[in-house]
Amino acid sequence: MTPFLPPEWLPVVFAALMAISILAYVVLDGFDLGVGILLPRVAEEADRDRMIAAIGPFWDANETWLVLGIGLLLVAFPAAHGIILTELYLAVAIMLAGLTLRGVAFEFRAKADEPRRKRRWDHAFVAGSLAASLSQGWMLGRYVLGFAEGPAALAFAAMAAVGLAIAYAFIGATWLIWRAEGALQRRAIRWARSAIWPMAVGILLVSVVTPLVSARIFERWFALPEMLLLAPLPAATAGLLLGLGSLLRHMPLPGDALRRLPFWGAVALFALFFAGLAWSFFPYVVPERLTIWQAASAPESLSIILAGAMLVLPVILAYTVLAWRVFGGKARELTYY
Amino acid sequence: MDPVILARIQFAANISFHIMFPTITIALGWVLLFFKLRFGATGDGKWMEAYRFWVKVFALSFAMGVVSGITMSFQFGTNWPGYMQHVGNIAGPLLAYEIITAFFLEATFLSIMLFGYRRVPGWLHTGATFLVAFGTTMSAFWILALNSWMQTPQGFEMRDGVAHATDWWAIVFNPSFPYRLAHMLTASALTVAFLVAGMSAWRWLRGDRAPSVAAALRTGVVMAAVLAPTQLLLGDMHGLNTLEHQPAKVAAMEANWDTRGNVPLVLFAVPDEAARENRFEIAIPSGASLILRHEPGGVVPGLNEHRGAHPPVAPVFYAFRVMVGLGLLMIAAGLAAAFLLWRRGTLPRWLLRGLVAMTFSGWVATLAGWYVTEIGRQPWLVTGVLTTAQAAGPVPAGSVGTTLAMYLTLYVLLLAAYVGTLYRLAAKGGAAVEPAMATKGAPA
Ligand code: HDD
Ligand code: HEM
Ligand code: HEM
Repeated sequence: MTPFLPPEWLPVVFAALMAISILAYVVLDGFDLGVGILLPRVAEEADRDRMIAAIGPFWDANETWLVLGIGLLLVAFPAAHGIILTELYLAVAIMLAGLTLRGVAFEFRAKADEPRRKRRWDHAFVAGSLAASLSQGWMLGRYVLGFAEGPAALAFAAMAAVGLAIAYAFIGATWLIWRAEGALQRRAIRWARSAIWPMAVGILLVSVVTPLVSARIFERWFALPEMLLLAPLPAATAGLLLGLGSLLRHMPLPGDALRRLPFWGAVALFALFFAGLAWSFFPYVVPERLTIWQAASAPESLSIILAGAMLVLPVILAYTVLAWRVFGGKARELTYY
Repeated sequence: MDPVILARIQFAANISFHIMFPTITIALGWVLLFFKLRFGATGDGKWMEAYRFWVKVFALSFAMGVVSGITMSFQFGTNWPGYMQHVGNIAGPLLAYEIITAFFLEATFLSIMLFGYRRVPGWLHTGATFLVAFGTTMSAFWILALNSWMQTPQGFEMRDGVAHATDWWAIVFNPSFPYRLAHMLTASALTVAFLVAGMSAWRWLRGDRAPSVAAALRTGVVMAAVLAPTQLLLGDMHGLNTLEHQPAKVAAMEANWDTRGNVPLVLFAVPDEAARENRFEIAIPSGASLILRHEPGGVVPGLNEHRGAHPPVAPVFYAFRVMVGLGLLMIAAGLAAAFLLWRRGTLPRWLLRGLVAMTFSGWVATLAGWYVTEIGRQPWLVTGVLTTAQAAGPVPAGSVGTTLAMYLTLYVLLLAAYVGTLYRLAAKGGAAVEPAMATKGAPA
């Protein structure tokens, strides 16, 4: 197979595909994990069931974006995959244990014949969601600092861990505003209101620290023409936060109007934040150590993957839309047949 | 302990745990499609009831397969960074095609299959069931293409120690792939046949005589009777292919030390690698020569030809006997049960009890088969290209040990919960079908 793109472009295309998959994962599994983190705030079993029904048909496909994101890192940038996963060894293991518990808890709680067993799987569900969220935030913190060691770096990673868990709780709450009704929806609005500002602090913190880590990133943001061109990014983030905050203060609106808006607002917020990070780190896959060109696989292999991906990704999008339509609307009950 | 050994144990533990659930879902998806189509064709409610019972087993097994599969996709980087560095150009596209052609398909249509019965038209629900079964089979296709390429690599050239693809068709359809794919898919079908037959026999013995239980029992027995003998043939062909491409592996399977004619078929022995001989050997004269060369005097290569570069003999030898022994038992049980069902319409209690005892026999045979294949490839990770030690990473033994302990604890707990849940599902039977994932009668 002859490469049909100039070989030096292939790594850029794959970096973009990988970034999109990771963003899709963070948004999509973010809301699943967020609902898991929020579960203990509800005592009534019926409400818990409804919260879980709101994510039941989605979590598996959502998690597949993680497989694709990490798979693209593995197949397109194998050298980086090795370095990153070796650096994050323990955090990855904890995340995997968390995702394992969370994933099987769905099924086991649905089949539990006694309340005691069901409650036990609820605990596993919450613990798994929390462990996965915290370890992902920790990895983000370690990555941003280029895997630096030392107490300050670890403290930063710990803050990133808490920050990402709060951000997931926020997007989870906005999902429930869309998918729940009545008292549960009103509670979701309150959760979103109390999570939004701590999340804003987290975004600010990471945004301030990133340029301080390296002179290169600092230059990227604060050299003159770029600074003006990039100004819309932080401005849009701030505007979005303020807008969402005031929308949440007025919800629920009559006739359940705008119920989808907080969720899509949260998606936009995640995307902006992510775009900022991508701008800082490009073209490095391992911060300040390895560029995408140094880490990339052979062009023949990347071309054959790209050819397949271009054929198959539209089909994946089409059936994802189909599934979202089938399971659109308010979550009430979820039966097996 | 040596981090390479620990990393191998960890990889083996994770993939052994993972493969147990795909083994069930690959074939159970097709069995569910069969139940659904029978219901469509006959309108007989027992098929739908069987579907409803087994779809729960499917959902649970699928979830276990997904979460352990996610672990697998991180294992390459965490435990074998050298693997992707050397053969990533080959492994990468095969893994990528598995993700984009199989994983998204399964995961998305699974939700329609599980929760969509009342939300979508009947044809779409049946279509979703088909696509899920098709997706699991596609996963098997791609991952086995990769695994077979690691066993019998071709279609590439080495440049500066890195493999580059030259012929993708040759890579995918490498010499051992057709045999391994056929043998593994049949292994999956046999595992499901005995799972379905065993759990149905157990319900029958407890007095749960619903027509759906009888229908499932019959389905499992017929599958076993047809596929167990087929598996013997496929396994034999697979072994002949291995003899051609990986003779040291076959020598270990047979515990045959010297290259010679009239090699006996060793039924039992304790291979002693230090003394390079077998103790307590019970053997059929010239048996192995007959099986492998189709003549008593046929010359079969022995282990001493590969001194210092052959796999550990004992685990390969024993695992092979476990698999083949169970395969023969499955042939006997499947044929006896099918014959009695055909002649008498029912099964005697002793045979029902035997089927119950064999409920999980497919798992044991499948794992044993994989140990033969994988340990038999040692010391290579990719035959002739990359050794296992070259692929290991720099993670310290402490970290590998800690995470290994964590994974093992998790797996033991989950396996107990899984088997316990199957047991309770069967005990409840079709009667108390679990109400819902969420409450009925939520406020409108
Ligand atoms: C013979 C079959 C087979 C074998 C040998 C393997 N798998 Fe597998 N795998 C499947 C058959 C399968 C499956 C039946 O297709 C699963 C089970 C449930 C599912 O979603 O798909 C699956 C799930 C599954 C998933 C989750 C997919 C999802 O999110 O839906 C991942 C990431 C992997 N596998 C990865 C691997 C890797 C890296 C393997 C080897 C090193 C491996 N599998 C061996
Ligand atoms: C699913 C069934 C499988 C089982 C039960 C299994 C089992 C094992 C075992 C026991 C080992 C350790 C061998 C030893 O240390 O002596 C191993 C190693 C390995 N296998 Fe598999 N394997 C399976 C499938 C696969 C597949 C499908 C792949 C390819 C993607 C694969 C790739 C590897 C790799 C990379 C190693 C590590 C190196 C090694 O120790 O050989 N295995 N496997
Ligand atoms: C009855 C006689 C059987 C024979 C003669 C046989 C033969 C073989 C051989 C020779 C191998 C090693 C292939 C290699 O060199 O890598 C193998 C592997 C394997 N066997 Fe069997 N087998 C039999 C029954 C079974 C049964 C009943 C099962 C499971 C239900 C099973 C599952 C497997 C699996 C999963 C593998 C590893 C994957 C592969 O390489 O195909 N086998 N078998």
